[in-house]
Amino acid sequence: MPFAYQLPSDVSPATVANTSSLLRIIALALISGAAIASRLFAVINFESIIHEFDPWFNYRATKVIAEKGFYEFWNWFDPTAWYPLGRVVGGTIYPGLMATSGVIYSLLHAINLPVDIRNICVLLAPGFSALTAWSTYMFTKELKDESAGLLAAVFIGIVPGYISRSVAGSYDNEAIAIFLLMFTFFCWIKALKIGSAFYGSLAALFYFYMVAAWGGYAFITNMIPLHAFALILMGRFSSRLYVAYSSWYAIGTLSSMQVPFVGFQPVRTSEHMAALGVFGLLQIIAFAELVRTHVSSKQFQSLLYASVVGMGITGALAIIGLTYKGWIAPWTGRFYSLWDTGYAKKYIPIIASVSEHQPTAWPSFFMDLQLLIFLFPAGVIMCFRQLRDEHVFVIIYAVVASYFAGVMVRLMLTLTPVVCVTAAVAFSSLLDTYIDPAEPDVLEDDSNTGQDAPTSGTSTAVSTSSPAPSLKKAKKAAAAAPPAGPLDGLVSTVTAAVSSSKKAGKPRGVFGLDTRIAVLINALGMLFFFVMHCTYVTSTAYSSPSVVLASTNPDGSQHIIDDFREAYYWLRQNTPETAVVMSWWDYGYQIAGMADRPTLVDNNTWNNTHIATVGKAMSSSEEVAYPILRKHDVDYVLIIFGGLLGYSGDDINKFLWMVRIAQGVWPDEIQEPNYFTPKGEYRVDEAASSTMKNSLMYKMSYYRFAELFGGNQAVDRVRGQQMPKVGPTLDYLDEAFTSENWIVRIYQVKKDDPLGRDLKTANAFAQGKKRKRSKPQVRRKAVS
Amino acid sequence: MVLRWRCSPLLLLSLLLQSFVSADHSFENTAVVRTVEVAGSLVQVTTTFAVKALEGDASEYTIALGEREHERTSWLEAKIKGQAAILPLFEGGYDPEIGVHFYTVALPHAMKINETANLVVETVETHATYPWPEQASQKDPQSLKYETDLFVVSPYKTLVERIKFRTPTPNIHSYTNPPGLDDFTVEIPVTKSGATITYGPFNNIPITSAKEFLDAKQEHVAVHYAYDSPLVEVMKLKRSAEISHWGANLNIEDTFHLRNAGPALKGHFSRLEHQSTMFYGRPPPHVLPSLTVQLPAGIHSPYYYDLIGNVSTSHLRTSPSQGKNGRSQPSLLELRPRYPLMGGWNYTFTLGWDSPLADYSSYEKATGKYIVGIPLMTMIPGAVVDEAEINIILPEAATDVDYYPPFVPTESGITTHVTYLDTVGRPAIVLRYGRLTHKHAGVIYVTYKVPVTAHLKKPLAVATAFMGLFALGFLAKRLDISIQKK
Repeated sequence: MPFAYQLPSDVSPATVANTSSLLRIIALALISGAAIASRLFAVINFESIIHEFDPWFNYRATKVIAEKGFYEFWNWFDPTAWYPLGRVVGGTIYPGLMATSGVIYSLLHAINLPVDIRNICVLLAPGFSALTAWSTYMFTKELKDESAGLLAAVFIGIVPGYISRSVAGSYDNEAIAIFLLMFTFFCWIKALKIGSAFYGSLAALFYFYMVAAWGGYAFITNMIPLHAFALILMGRFSSRLYVAYSSWYAIGTLSSMQVPFVGFQPVRTSEHMAALGVFGLLQIIAFAELVRTHVSSKQFQSLLYASVVGMGITGALAIIGLTYKGWIAPWTGRFYSLWDTGYAKKYIPIIASVSEHQPTAWPSFFMDLQLLIFLFPAGVIMCFRQLRDEHVFVIIYAVVASYFAGVMVRLMLTLTPVVCVTAAVAFSSLLDTYIDPAEPDVLEDDSNTGQDAPTSGTSTAVSTSSPAPSLKKAKKAAAAAPPAGPLDGLVSTVTAAVSSSKKAGKPRGVFGLDTRIAVLINALGMLFFFVMHCTYVTSTAYSSPSVVLASTNPDGSQHIIDDFREAYYWLRQNTPETAVVMSWWDYGYQIAGMADRPTLVDNNTWNNTHIATVGKAMSSSEEVAYPILRKHDVDYVLIIFGGLLGYSGDDINKFLWMVRIAQGVWPDEIQEPNYFTPKGEYRVDEAASSTMKNSLMYKMSYYRFAELFGGNQAVDRVRGQQMPKVGPTLDYLDEAFTSENWIVRIYQVKKDDPLGRDLKTANAFAQGKKRKRSKPQVRRKAVS
Repeated sequence: MVLRWRCSPLLLLSLLLQSFVSADHSFENTAVVRTVEVAGSLVQVTTTFAVKALEGDASEYTIALGEREHERTSWLEAKIKGQAAILPLFEGGYDPEIGVHFYTVALPHAMKINETANLVVETVETHATYPWPEQASQKDPQSLKYETDLFVVSPYKTLVERIKFRTPTPNIHSYTNPPGLDDFTVEIPVTKSGATITYGPFNNIPITSAKEFLDAKQEHVAVHYAYDSPLVEVMKLKRSAEISHWGANLNIEDTFHLRNAGPALKGHFSRLEHQSTMFYGRPPPHVLPSLTVQLPAGIHSPYYYDLIGNVSTSHLRTSPSQGKNGRSQPSLLELRPRYPLMGGWNYTFTLGWDSPLADYSSYEKATGKYIVGIPLMTMIPGAVVDEAEINIILPEAATDVDYYPPFVPTESGITTHVTYLDTVGRPAIVLRYGRLTHKHAGVIYVTYKVPVTAHLKKPLAVATAFMGLFALGFLAKRLDISIQKK
């Protein structure tokens, strides 16, 4: 057999095996290094700091574990959150992330490596991304081979869709969850492949870890049963499936119930019923199979099938009935919003107000996955070529995750691994085809006419057809059977082309070194641009801590805008430790983490009414808001104002959500239309509606803002609107602190007037204004 | 409050032998001039005694401090005028009835009858001034008040005495003019010229450390003056210095708890007003927007962070450890707190840096000992450090540890500090001080031995641990634990 290039022939198979395994280890080590390194942009450009909002809570909880130990953490009641309600932290979180960091922390300290807990938290996500790359390698290896596995590991290591959630400092549940997801799936297909109870239990163990770490565990809870169900429907029931599923479900479910936050949900809520149902179905089928091996009557078999179907239906009806009765909780709102994208906006504005819960925009698929999104369908189709059990799994996973990724930006994360896996399968098939040195048998080709030889060469699995010969073929075919219409002609052309090449029975393959090199260089070029894209997107879009903003000085050096920490640190150092701070819920975790002060509401949005109360206080006038503030012992009100700097994520832009959420609870008092101008515009300038102008949020944002411009026209740079010359005045609050760029403004709530007047009158008196005498006039009128 | 004074161990011994000293009559003050330089947190008092011996062989001169003076004084030093040598000084007891503390100065030589000498006693008082009014709004000026007892307390008779108060600016709001001064003078008892207020000269003052005088004649005076820079106080300073022989590095890390002790901010902080005053270049005197700190020469990789992370607003100008003509200039660090410190506001932060160990240490071949000099503290200009804790962490397994602080700490000891892959831990010297001023910025000398085996301890420990891991991996790979043999 001819070769396109010479292979060394004097190498023993053992040497080849050893060398390739060494190369694989080196490649995996390098991939881990690249995965970790590309996530460090945030640390190098800024500093080792916890990002965003939720990570601040995780960090705070981890500090409790590190300082006080696990039991103390388990029983931790946090009186400073959701003041005055408090929060039972141990029972309302997924502790996996904190426990992981806590274990790493104690391990390092046990060997006298005093690494700061903050650094562990910051670097946990990059560290676990290396593990994710490894588990993706293992997963893809089961699907195709090691080279596809390595490609998949590279892809998942640097793909922005995963980096967006796992840069250094992004200390969130997703940081470890994707590793657990991939490893559980790997264990599952491994268990299924060899029918191993060991791998099934391992899958259950990692499933438990996943349950303890991320609310997205429900994805696994439904993916595995779905896969099993599909296999049953395809008639692929086997004892391997039975062993794998039963060991996974029994151990996994029992252990998942040990997490306090999950508790009895696996047997009480609809999200988990699919797993239970499939578990039951498998038992029935296994029983039926058992009976079938002992009984051979055909009639009995049909009866048995009928009873299996009947039992399945009864089971499903029982679940529905129990749901109806209330024994099984119906789907939660978050799940409904997965089916109906408009649901959340209508019924749960809190969920809709989070930007990562919005439907995904098309460009973000390209931004997060680049080349992979094009390879993804090819890879899925390639799964159909072999269609072993694990390929079925990948196909189902691809379909389901594609849907979810389209519904919610956040779920792009679950799509990313399967895209990497399938893209790696497609890409490595391409490389396999063109690296393979085996040439097609030329002897046979010589017997044919010179015209046909290149044709057979091009019509390989990889579709690169040269137009010239097919055109000629088309002409031939057209001559043979005159077409009825243009479409028919095309169809017949294609069939003729395919049939003629098939009929010829000519060998398929790639000829020559140049063809190979041309394709391979293009392929490598694509990979190269993929790496460029990933690095670019990671460094520019996903590596900003959002606590710290960066801008450039006139001389080009980096200037850090650190207003958030400035204000939080001021609160921490110069207010009493019990001072209650009210802010919109976005900043709750940050205030608790950085300022260490009690907050009214935070990012754990469990109590809608409490959030609506804050929304009402912010969107009402001072007179209405003041009693609310006093009743909740609020000492300071913190708002974010971007008007001076042009920081668009400020509270005025979020204000409509506060109004909407408040309206949901007090529809009579707060009405969204009142905050718009009569023309329906959302404005903050002279033309703003009076409700808007009187709202506490508006007043706090623009208090003394116009004075800053020293008589010039004041401009709000976010909204691009010109502010009135005379700004709002405050009677019930005092400005306590404003950060350097005015991004954070803190107001102190005044105490009751010592003379018992209402604060507005007291203020007017202090400013020397005469009290309006309105009542005596009325009295005079009554007399006359 | 315990005073710190310079004192050699030999004289400490003699302190024990010293009996209670009350007024003896071996001296007479022919003239006493006290100059009080009132400022912010620190007030420097210089008293010059022109001394005449009345008896022969008089070698010990007693100085006295009143109750309030003693409480405030954190530094006491006596010299002969014009000489650099500091005279040994030791405690001479306390008279609870009159509330006077005595200190004895050992004169350089025993004085003959009628021999005279000029003795200069310098003290630094801390927390002696207080803001008055106690609150100031953002635009208000800052004024301080200093109160003290007028007459210099001395167990000897004084012929002529003069007390001067020098303020930083001529802007003095008021000063006390007590009526009882006419007993000792015929002239105008108080005069003000520019930034100086002079009380006296007063003639023929009797022994002032006597109960009769203190009860009846001692006068209480107060000076109220404008002060144009912020009043900085370091409530706590924690320094840890870590010596590494492997890295040839001395790492020093200071944790400060800073407080603006000026008048408390009246009302609330308005950024608008702050920005406009800064814009016009007229920041109010009680606002502390930034600090300039001198750090040692030759330092590198500095860091400045607080409880919630790095503070990016600082500039460091380092200078090489070997400057021109062998003299090195200090590095300058301009650091800005996260927010401008208004009166009464707190700010905590951590400052650290690395410096080459060679700049601080030497090796004595004869004894095989290393000698390292650790600077006692980082000075924040004009600030007093209320509490200081200094940890000096020596290399692992260092032996024969000795330390020589520049003056006696309130507490000291050696503990063990375990860090980076240590097996036995490192000896750490802990020293505690209270109320440090710029006068206390000395060097702590530490001597210790490090055997060669101690240097190799860490690489060996790490190598053993890794070998153990590899052995475990080797075993795990070779061990077959399957039940069914294939």
